[in-house]
Parts: sequence; structure tokens; C-alpha cells
Amino acid sequence: MLVADFTWTEFAQQLAAGIRSGAIYAGLALAIVIIYRSTRVINFAQGEMATFSTFVCWSLMNHGLSFWAAFPIVLAIAFLGGVAIERTVIRPVENASVLTIVIVTLGLALVLNGLMSLIWGGANRPFDGPFSTRTIDVAGVPISIQDVGIVVVSFVLVGLLALFFRYTKVGLGLRAAALNPASSRLVGVRVGWMLALGWGLAAVLGAVSGMMIAPVLFLDPNMMQTILLYAFAAAVLGGLDSPLGAVVGGILLGVVMTMLERYVGFIGSTLKLPVALLLILVLLLVRPGGLFGHVAVRRV
Amino acid sequence: MRVFSLCVVLAAVAAASAGARPVATPGVSSNEIKLGSSVPLSGEASVAGNVARGAEAYFKYVNDHGGVFGRKIKFTYLDDGYDPGRAVNNTIRLVQQEQVFAMFSSLGTNNNLAVRKLLNDAKVPQLFVSSGATTFGRDYRKYPWTMGYIPPYSEEGEIYGRYVAKTVKKPKVAVLYQNDDYGRDLLGGLRRGLGAKAKAIVARVGYDPTTADVQPQVTQLKASGANVFMIFAFGKFSLQAYNAVSRLNWKPKIFVNDVSSASALMLAVPQKAANGSISIVFGKDPAAPLWKKDKGVRLFQSILKKYGSDIGSRDLDNGFYTAGMATAFTMVDTLRKAGKNLTRAGVMRAATHLNEKNNPFVLPGITVHTTPTSRFPLTQVRLQRWSNKSWHPFGPMLTAKPR
Amino acid sequence: MRIKLALDILGFVALALLVVFVPHFVADFTAYELAIIGMYFIALLGLSILTGFGGQISLGHGAFMAIGGYTTAILSVDHGVRDLWTIPIAGLVAGAAGLLVGIPALRLSGLYLALITFGIAVSFPQLPKQFDDFFGGTTGIVLGLVSPPFGLDTTPNRWLFYLTWGIALVLLAVAWIFLRGKPGRALQAVRDSEVAAESSGVNLATYKTLAFGISAFYAGVAGALYVMSTAYMNPDVFPIVLSVYLVAALAIGGLDSLVGLIAGAGVIYILQNRSDDVTRWLNHLPILDLNPKQPGMPSVVFGVVLIAVMLALPMGVGGFLRRIFQPLTSRLYSRS
Repeated sequence: MLVADFTWTEFAQQLAAGIRSGAIYAGLALAIVIIYRSTRVINFAQGEMATFSTFVCWSLMNHGLSFWAAFPIVLAIAFLGGVAIERTVIRPVENASVLTIVIVTLGLALVLNGLMSLIWGGANRPFDGPFSTRTIDVAGVPISIQDVGIVVVSFVLVGLLALFFRYTKVGLGLRAAALNPASSRLVGVRVGWMLALGWGLAAVLGAVSGMMIAPVLFLDPNMMQTILLYAFAAAVLGGLDSPLGAVVGGILLGVVMTMLERYVGFIGSTLKLPVALLLILVLLLVRPGGLFGHVAVRRV
Repeated sequence: MRVFSLCVVLAAVAAASAGARPVATPGVSSNEIKLGSSVPLSGEASVAGNVARGAEAYFKYVNDHGGVFGRKIKFTYLDDGYDPGRAVNNTIRLVQQEQVFAMFSSLGTNNNLAVRKLLNDAKVPQLFVSSGATTFGRDYRKYPWTMGYIPPYSEEGEIYGRYVAKTVKKPKVAVLYQNDDYGRDLLGGLRRGLGAKAKAIVARVGYDPTTADVQPQVTQLKASGANVFMIFAFGKFSLQAYNAVSRLNWKPKIFVNDVSSASALMLAVPQKAANGSISIVFGKDPAAPLWKKDKGVRLFQSILKKYGSDIGSRDLDNGFYTAGMATAFTMVDTLRKAGKNLTRAGVMRAATHLNEKNNPFVLPGITVHTTPTSRFPLTQVRLQRWSNKSWHPFGPMLTAKPR
Repeated sequence: MRIKLALDILGFVALALLVVFVPHFVADFTAYELAIIGMYFIALLGLSILTGFGGQISLGHGAFMAIGGYTTAILSVDHGVRDLWTIPIAGLVAGAAGLLVGIPALRLSGLYLALITFGIAVSFPQLPKQFDDFFGGTTGIVLGLVSPPFGLDTTPNRWLFYLTWGIALVLLAVAWIFLRGKPGRALQAVRDSEVAAESSGVNLATYKTLAFGISAFYAGVAGALYVMSTAYMNPDVFPIVLSVYLVAALAIGGLDSLVGLIAGAGVIYILQNRSDDVTRWLNHLPILDLNPKQPGMPSVVFGVVLIAVMLALPMGVGGFLRRIFQPLTSRLYSRS
């Protein structure tokens, strides 16, 4: 085999870890895609929004609430936060130059990061997740309950969102507003609020990703920074305007990255990021639509 | 003609030196001594930055009791987030703008390595660095203005190695180490300590200090089938390692390096994994029930309460503050030994002739001792074992002195 | 047009005079700080060519500074090259890297380019960590401090100031000449409308790639100078956030305003090297009582300022000032 100390047990464990990482990337990538589809903005602040929500959860738990009691409160706060950000900060620059939009989301990231340091301090802290760190035996391989839990929660969330988009009126309105704002207005869709809704949902997705990964990575203001790059890679891999692509891309990326890190010694943990970057680059050059997305034709 | 010009030159020199006043030592005035430090106050290593706050409290206490020959110590410490680049910026600023007399107890192996040359070139003392990398005590011929404080990591590793060779029947050792001088010194020492059994190291994985997550590394180490696990990792990485051990259902005998052994950190990990862990100790851990009634610890807590800034009740049990105070105690001792006419060369001379037996914040029986050729102030440690949510020292005092 | 030319030259001469005389009136350490500001100014100058005139967004210019920095560090320490000579080499190496990035950048626009360059900023620091034998890893490379050459009678810090701002003036002149000529007009055409530019015969590829290379050259020079001044290099000396600050300072200062660039460089210096002072200044406000050792406030303030400026003044402060003064100056222009 590729490595001298290969065991099937470890392979299964690394695979589980890869799927777990992938679930996190998928959640964040989905958030990025939802925002991109609706407002054509790449939200560089997505990671900081997620970490911020996680800190709110930590504070709530610090005041005595259990994780699952704090969970819905955090989601509500994240949702409202996302909506508020879209309405106040993004709305005015929706049609501005690319540079302006980029600077605004970067500025947002700086503000959130600074606020987190101010309010909670920059130190790393443990985060008591909802899942125990014990392992269960799956066909002779000890798999952590936490990994299973993370994957299950992520999939449930994605599933709920998919149902929402497909079968509810609001979801339909959101899709319409993203696809063709002008026509949607004609049919009575309140496009402005749909876009804000998109941001709110993206914030919720980010919050869940953050709360799921914090027990593993430990909570600090910079927790999501490298994950954000992987999430971008996953979103591009799946196609920036395809929600399904984001999820598939996320899982795929998580597994591939974990396997590369473990079994290709040259890459190890240090070169994971450059590899992800290279992936984004090659994809954008060769197949900008990714796996499931569409390329807009530039009309002259 | 030549003689004439020579006379002119000599006359000029004489005139110049007659009117010349001795150059004042930077950072020393009639009522003040300025010390500077660069420590992590933010980011993942910020818990260790508390050594500066402990030292600050102690200096304030000393100032309140007459200072050093009537001079008050002005201690300025800046945040570097455990980033060597920022440590360099801070140090340049402290030396050139603040004009500190000496750099004191800056934290981090890489951080101190980054500034060592520029401090030595400028002949500024780099005293009692918070790092046990052996080079700080060993390479004094090249860097005479630098000195460490805590027991060298290489000797710490050797102590673990010897212990394993003596007490574990068929040792198979896995090592997680930080990929810099700090981790590599520990690993090198471990090998030496294992001696004939050095082959017992079946797996070792290094990680970069700016990594996010070392759990993949631990998974890899577990797969080697080792029954002994050396955690030569710092702060959050040590926490992650323990968490991974727990998640993977791995039950090796764990050795955790001293820098990561603070009770505050140990309490934050799954106790089932932590119980039985072994480390070394040279300071009095204020959280240990053993030292609850100790005079030194009581002094530490009263000083911290009265002179510390933003102290919470949990800080009174935090060993990083005690470590800072122990170092500050030695610093004040050194300043006193250097005499009233305080110069940088003088303080280095004092620092290389230490024989301090009364440091209330280190284990009883430890002497803080240096000579010009042996620049390791602390070289005595004991082993300790974690159980029941606290550390329990056992065995005799061991020596951690490089030969 | 002649009046504008006169104003430009006047500005340049004023700056040159300042450079000559300022070190005599400020403390030694202040000269050092002004030198560092000069280095950021050089990097911003290069970025303004790329983004201001060429319209391409790069969120990764910190990486080009790092390439320059590593070139200087490795050449000085491992090969004993005199620090001065490493500067042009560092610029060329970084410039070559810029050209390399410029090639795929051709096929990426706007947001995608921002994304890729952001990815470069995030992942570039990993390379020196992986190949740590050559680059020194996170432990880094330690250099000797700068000293004035040929026994020039000045302090090391003042020498750094003259060196940096001297190079800055030269590079400023070069940029100005470049942008006034055909390449500059071509870049502006590309920025305003790629399609139109291409249809009127402008060789898109050459100019876009060239812009990347030149801006990277400037960043490399800035990186080399910075490493010379702090005598240390490791992957985090030019962190990800610096790349963000560069673009942000450019956007705030105004893409093609000299004063804006210098002010932007000053802002970056404060955020990167003196952030605890920001908190200290803010504490003068009655409502705030922050611990200067606690980071975070400078980020918040800068982020808010960024957003506010982008919302209110899309042309940046420099552009805004120019618009205010335009009625005044256009009278001057109309006379010629």
C-alpha cells in the first residue's frame, strides 16, 4: 500500500473524520452559495459570522443553558443578524463595483473578528458540544459519536432547507428572486426581503457549522478562517450557483483532503491549503461551472 | 608633519574625553528601572501570557516596599500573539523607543530566537526567557547577553526517557511534538533518556505551531500501536491531543510536557484520559491541594490579589501567574546583586553568579543557580502524577542539568 | 493638461524635499517608523497600478511581499549577499511570481480573481512551513541588523528612512511615467471596459499580465526592505490580514491619489505595528475604558470605517477630495 503503516481500521476512522470535515465544509459552502445566488456577492465574512454565532452559543451555555436549549436561540439570533446585515450593509452596495462589494464584506469580517476579541477575548477555549466524545463500535472500528452527530445534524439541516426551497411558497419566492429579480417583482415577490432572507438562512447555516466544529477545533475568534477557504473550494467545486453542488462538493472535498493529508506524506497537514487553492484555480480555469453549476455567458 | 598631526589628534581626544560624561545606561534613571517583555496576550497561547501579569504584580509589590535601591521597576509588556514577527516588532519598539534597560521573560522559543541576534548585537540583556530551549543556556559564547530560566526541554525529555526505560516493560512510544526547537529538544532528550531502548519510539509526528488541529496526527500515532504517548505540544494542541485520545478510545501511558501541565489546562480535558499522566514540576502549583497552606503560595495569592490587574478568583489558582512571579523574584534578586551602579554588563555579571535559595514560588530545596559557564538557572525538578483533578509530586528531586 | 502636469511635479518635489529634511527633525525611532510607512507606501503604489488603473483585484499581495522578504532573507543569510543588492533581486523574483499569477488571472474576472488571490494569501504561508529546510519554517530566518554602507555618517534608522523613501520616490516617478504613457492609458481602457478595449485593439493579455508583474515587483521590493529593517522573516511576517489591509487602504485612500496612498500606508502601519496605541487613543473618549492589551478594537474601528467609506464614498477619500476640489481646479484647467 502507499504507506507502511496502513490499517483498514485507521482508514475507516480517517474516512469518518473526512466525512465529518466535509459536512462542515458543506454547511458553510451552502451558505456561500445561497448568498452568491441571491445577491451575487461572495461573502468573505461568512466564517466570522459563523464563529460569532458560536460565541453567542458559548455565552448562553456559560449562563447555564444546555446546548440544545441554546441552539434554537442562537439560530434565531443568527437569522436576524444575517437579515440585518443584508439590509444595512449589503443593500446599498448591491450594484456597486466589485471592489466595493469585496471591501464591504472584508470590512464586515474585520468588525466581527474584532468584536469577538473585544467581547470574549482572543484566548482559545474548549466548547462543550452536544455529542459525547466516546466511541461506538461500527463493524470493529471505533467511530466517534461526535463525528456521527455532526454529520447527522448537517444532513438534517440541509434536508430541511431543500424541502423549504422546493415546497414552500417563501422558498419558491427566494429561488425566483435569485434567478430573475425583475420578473419576480412583476409577479409580486418582494425581492428585497427575499435577498435578506437568503442572508438570514446563510447565517443560520454558518452558525450550525460553527457550533458543530467548535468542540473539535476549540473556540477562538480565528477558528473558521482556514475552513472558509475549504468552503470556498467546495462551493467552486460544486458550482457557485448550485446548492446541491455545495453539499456534494463539501463532502467530497472533506474526504479527499483528509485522505491526501494522511496518505500522501508529501502533502501532510501543511500543504492541504495550497492544494485546496490549486483545486479552486484549476476548476475556475477549466470548468468554471464546477460539477453542477452553470456558467454565465458574458453578453457583449 | 606626522608628529604634529598625531599631537593634534591626541589633544583632540584628550579634550573630548575630558569634557565627556559617562554614557548613561538606557532604562536606568535615579528613580526607575525599565524592563520590557513580549508575551502572548491574545490567541491560542494567551493563557501562557499570564506569566507577564504575574511578574507585573510582583514588581508592583517590590516597588511598594522600596523598590531596588530606591528605584521603581517599570515593567512594560506587549502582546505578540505568539507570533515571532510581532515579537520582533515589540522588542525593537521596547529597546529603541521605550529604551528599556533589559528584556525580561519574553515568552516563546521561536519568539526569543527571532530577537536574540538583534539584542545581542545591541548589547541588551535578554534575561530569563520563558522558554526551555537548550540553546538559550548553551550558546552563551555566541550570545553572551541571553539567558533562559526554566529547566531545559532536552533534559526534561531525558527524564521522561529514563523513567520509561526503567518502569515500562515493553515500551512502544509515540510522540507528538511541535516542529521547532521546543518540540525537537524534548524529542532529542527523550531519545537520550531511553538509551538502549531508543528503538522503543515507534512513531513520531511533528506539527507546525500555526496548525489548527492536531487530531489527525494523534489518530496516526494511535495506529502505531504504542502504549506510551508523549505530548510535547503546547497549550491548545495539548488539549486537542487529550481530546483525541479520549475520542479514539486509546489508553496509553501519557507524559505531558511541563509547559502544558498547568492545572487550568489539565482540568479542561476529559479526566479519564488525563488521569495517570506524568509530568515534571519545579514550581508550586497553587491549585494543588499540597500547597494550599504553603507560605509561598499564600504570599503569591496575596500579592496577586492586591497588585494584579483584572484578577479573577480563578487566576489565584493559575500556575502561569506563579511561574511569572518566580521569574520576577529572581530578576529582582539579580538587580539587587548588580548593585546601585546599575549597568547592563553589571546585571549580566550578577545573572551569571546566582545562588538563590529562598525563592518562595519554586519547590522547596530548589536553588536557582548559575555560573558564567553554566547558564541554566533552574535545573532541579520532581516527577508528578495527575489524579483526582490535581497533580501529586512523587519520587526524589531529579537533576535536569545538561552535561 | 499642463497645469495638471505642473501640480503632479510640484507634489513630487514637495515629497522629495520632505524626504530629505524630515529625518533631521524627528527622533531616531520615528525615522524608523516613517521608513516602515514608506515600505507599505511602495506596496500600495504597486497595488494601485494593478487595481486602480488595471481594475484587477488582488487580495493576495502580502504573498508577493513575502516572496521579496524571503529572497532577501535567504540571500543575505545563506549566501552572504549584501543587503542592498538583494532588493532588486527580491523585486524581480516577486515580479516573476506576479507574472505567473497574471497568466491565469487573465481568464478570471472580478470576484473570481478576488477569490483566487485571497486563496493565495491564505495558502502561501504554508509553503515555507513545508519546505522548512530551505525557508526556516515557522522558526524563521534571522538576519543581521541593517547598517549604513560605506561608513556613511548616519544612524541605521535614518539610513533605512533614506533608503526606503529614496526607492519610493524613484518607483513613484517610474509609475507616473508608465501610467502617463501608452501602457497607462491601455490599462485604464481595460479597467473601464474590457470588451471595448479589446475591440479597439488593445492587447488585453499583455497589459493585464504586465500589471500583475509590475505590482508584484513593487510588493517584493517593499517586502525586502521590511525584512531588512526588522532582521527577521517567517511565514507570518506578512499575514493574510495584511493583504486585506493593502486593498482596503487603497480603496479608502482613493485609487490614484498620492496623499491617499501615503495616508493609507500610515493607517496600515498603525494597524499592523501599533494597534495597542489605537486602543489607547480611543480610551480618551469618555465612554470607553478598554484594556490596551486586549486586541480587537482597532479591527472593529477599521472595519467600520471601511464599510462607512465604501457606502458613502465609493471613490475613496482621495477621490472624494478630488471631486470637492475639482470645481476649483477645473477652472485652472479650463484656462489652459
